[in-house]
Amino acid sequence: MNLTSAVWAEALKMRRSMVPLFTALGLSLAPVVDGLFMIILKDPEAARSMGLIGSKAQLVAGVADWPTFFNVLGQAVAVGGAIVFAIITAWVFGREFSDRTAKELLALPTPRESIVAAKFVVIAGWTLALTVLVFLIGLGVGSLVDIPGWSGELLWSATVDVVGAGVLTILLLPFVALFAGIGHGELPPMGWTILTVALAQIAAVTGWGDWFPWSVPALFSGAAGPRAEFIGVHSYLIIFLASLAGLVLTFQWWRNTDHAK
Amino acid sequence: MSNYTIETDLLTKRYGSVLAVDAVSLRVKPGEIYGFLGLNGAGKTTTIRALLGMIRPSAGHVKILGEALGANGRGPWARVGHLVESPGVYPELTVRENLEVARRLQSFSDREATSGVIDLLSLGPYADRKAGTLSTGNLQRLGLARAILHEPELLILDEPANGLDPAGVVEVRELLRRLAEEKGVTVFMSSHILTEVDRLATRIGIIHQGRLIEELDTNKLEELRAKRLEVRTRNLEAAQLSLKSAGYKFILEDGILLTTDAHALEHPDDIARILVNAGDPPTRLAIEQQNLEDHFLQITRDPSKQAVADAQTMPASREIGV
Repeated sequence: MNLTSAVWAEALKMRRSMVPLFTALGLSLAPVVDGLFMIILKDPEAARSMGLIGSKAQLVAGVADWPTFFNVLGQAVAVGGAIVFAIITAWVFGREFSDRTAKELLALPTPRESIVAAKFVVIAGWTLALTVLVFLIGLGVGSLVDIPGWSGELLWSATVDVVGAGVLTILLLPFVALFAGIGHGELPPMGWTILTVALAQIAAVTGWGDWFPWSVPALFSGAAGPRAEFIGVHSYLIIFLASLAGLVLTFQWWRNTDHAK
Repeated sequence: MSNYTIETDLLTKRYGSVLAVDAVSLRVKPGEIYGFLGLNGAGKTTTIRALLGMIRPSAGHVKILGEALGANGRGPWARVGHLVESPGVYPELTVRENLEVARRLQSFSDREATSGVIDLLSLGPYADRKAGTLSTGNLQRLGLARAILHEPELLILDEPANGLDPAGVVEVRELLRRLAEEKGVTVFMSSHILTEVDRLATRIGIIHQGRLIEELDTNKLEELRAKRLEVRTRNLEAAQLSLKSAGYKFILEDGILLTTDAHALEHPDDIARILVNAGDPPTRLAIEQQNLEDHFLQITRDPSKQAVADAQTMPASREIGV
């Protein structure tokens, strides 16, 4: 009952804000840009004459087909999602401090744990919905662009790649929530996010990405090649542990810290 | 079983080297309206946050409605309404939605409560307006509405009249008085508006530099409210000596001789006679009565005056830590 009320309250706050609209628009750019790449790759000369790319543009090797399209989409969800999902999380937790409403959530019959859990439920729900939305928009854009290489098997593997990358990214959000609390607002968790995105690139380039939780979603999506070559069971385990640690610390922080502001 | 609605034992809160609250022992009985006074930074809000389980005491204990607060902030919050500092509201939600969120999080089943409290706090015209567009006064009303929405037994209010216009101040004063008198609600309120506290509170505590330096009920305050005899003469030192020889202890302060001696207050003519006989007749002789504001400023501003105030209010001071 307490959790239901808290989820209702969090969902209402989310619905009434501009966050769902802006984050949906932001992440929806990924399949649109992906489609644009496909148009360019299909016929670079036509793209030049249409002004889609500059005359000096050097295109990265690639072919305009469904496997490439899904591969780019998976990377976009892994990297773009890391930022957009973090914005959602930073807002859901951080706004309680910037709007000075956190103190209204502390002395209630609804335990703080239920309120924190409700925030995570709403974040998970919306970020998962965004992942699915982006994938569906991708299917529509890919069809419009008319690229070859479609198959039922590819659809299944692409679903696993894109949605899996989304889920792994979502699992890393608790630390963003933790820093929103510790930093009393939205900016510190965004700083944390930028740091982890940068470190994820370095870890992946230096070959340690499978051991660095924030590198794993992009490697899972196939950004560097077939994921079996780059990540293993230990990579999933380390993401799970990072997620669990973030959750435990966030709950602990809300329960035990001095809320003096 | 505790007979107090609020009970703290040597409540202490330290932030590093800063002692924000120093061994405060409070007792608030059911149905009381307790005014909690203090200058900025005196420790009022820290005490209030400790009463609400928002911060953990460095030492001491807090009991609310007979229940000791847990380390994790658990307490009998369904029976407590609060307003801490300026009310925090969700600006994108309407007034009604803000209250509905509060009702649900309070697990209060009466769905009509939201409409009821909107009427009670005269928020009807703004009910469907976004809270972010409200004036400071109406935000305060919304905060108060949220505090009383679930019909609590105890209200803990930090500056409840903050931002209200004069009519609003009277309205809220009457509302709190009605809640206390008709429904037996205990009110613990801090305020800077001393006249409000003076008019409303049945008991007053003054916190200064983290310490509860005085506690008095308003009846005692009426009785003891620092009546003092002020005397001026051409030669103050000589007059002070003459009066001392006659058994009256006057202190010399800012060019005035002062005493709170009961006999002197009842017989100022006697003082005049002593001075005339000593060849130093008074140029001014007056009985002055402080109000709460004077009293408060006197004991919080000047440590030397605090000793005078302590002496004046000794019977009330004995209540500290009762």
